[in-house]
Amino acid sequence: MSKALFDKYGGFKSISRIVMDFYDKVLDSDRIGDFFDGIDMPKLIDHQTKFISALLGGPVSYSDERLRRAHASLDLTHEDFDEIRLLLSETLSEHGFSPQDIDKVMIEIEARRTSILATGMS
Amino acid sequence: MSITAINQQLLRAIGVGIAVVRGDDLQFLFSNGPFAEWFGKPEAGASLQEVLPDIDVDDVRSAMEQTGRFNGEISVKLKRRTLVIALSISSTDAEASDLLVVECQNITRIRELESMIDSYSSMVERNTRELEREKERVERLLLNLMPRTVYEEFKTFGVVTPQLYESVSVVMLDFVNFTKFAANHDPTVTLGELNDIFTAFDRIAEQFGCERIKTIGDAYLAVAGMPEPSPDHMRAVANCAVRFIRYLERRNQSHQYKWEARIGLGTGSAVGSVVGIQKYVYDVFGSAVNLAARLQAFANPMCVVAPDSMKEFLVEEFHLDDLGKQEVRSFGEMRLMRVNPGIELSRMTGRF
Repeated sequence: MSKALFDKYGGFKSISRIVMDFYDKVLDSDRIGDFFDGIDMPKLIDHQTKFISALLGGPVSYSDERLRRAHASLDLTHEDFDEIRLLLSETLSEHGFSPQDIDKVMIEIEARRTSILATGMS
Repeated sequence: MSITAINQQLLRAIGVGIAVVRGDDLQFLFSNGPFAEWFGKPEAGASLQEVLPDIDVDDVRSAMEQTGRFNGEISVKLKRRTLVIALSISSTDAEASDLLVVECQNITRIRELESMIDSYSSMVERNTRELEREKERVERLLLNLMPRTVYEEFKTFGVVTPQLYESVSVVMLDFVNFTKFAANHDPTVTLGELNDIFTAFDRIAEQFGCERIKTIGDAYLAVAGMPEPSPDHMRAVANCAVRFIRYLERRNQSHQYKWEARIGLGTGSAVGSVVGIQKYVYDVFGSAVNLAARLQAFANPMCVVAPDSMKEFLVEEFHLDDLGKQEVRSFGEMRLMRVNPGIELSRMTGRF
């Protein structure tokens, strides 16, 4: 179902803008921005490009195991996760995603909550 | 032009960081807003080295001497973001006082976008590779189901036109007591045996210009002269047939399970086509196929039986035994012969 979202909203051409805006929002967020402080920019961009592409059913699959490893050392809370969720939802909305489609993406990201919040396991 | 005048002009250049340093001691004379934002406002008398510690002053000097311009990149951390600033230092053309202009452009976005494109293209490339592999797998699978020329036609036009081949030959092999063997052994054993033997047959068939069309249980069907016409199709099937037998004889010497086969050869016309739309099967029909199937039943274990009509094409290479006239169902009375390896092949193997 969400397979189509990546293509529906214009493929990489549009998704790249979403990733960029999302990246800005995340860095600017006082709640979670610090988690990304000090992370190598290309690495972070790479991660977010793939993560968002995966959420929208783009040409990548991001395994839960990989998400777990990427976030294991961060000690994230549910509130942090909610903030990310909110920022993503805002970004998508600004880029003309319909509320229904945003909901679909939110379901996708919600499905990854436990993987992203899992700590200490690597 | 006074510094104040320059100052006013530069300040209007929004987004580009500008500073002016003295050529001799590299002390700052002026800097604008964006410059101060990225590197801090240079204090009076501060030198280039103090404000931009990542810049190698010697490099700057030598580049200035050689080309009159220094280009470099500096990373600055601003809040959480690492900015990438492209730096360009050039001398003004003021002949009296040697002044250097430091131009700074924020190229962070460009770098970020480059990273994203890298990331995306690596994804796409990996996907392309996977698709390519998948395509090869599918192609290999389809090539097992139909001859390559048929596959090419299928790929280009999406359909395969049934084609009549006037003159082809068929080799049909059937194992003796296969049903009994299958009943007495674990299916995996039976399958393993068939797989092993048929794989060897496929190699023999390929080597002698035959193409395996299908296996039905323990029956093995190969053709020659289609889809590529060949004047040698009768000899091709006869060569395959005697080598199938020879292979089995050799195999029986070393393997636990002994296999015996009957082989019939047929020649005549046949139609080849893909049957089915969802489940493709390339199959052949026609008198050549029927004949081979009938004659195989006439063969004693480990023997090859062919119609007498193939005689003139086989007589030189094979040893033929007349079997007399026989009543072949739906073909009527027909003279048959047994096909044995010729002298040359017998000598080569030291057998028969």
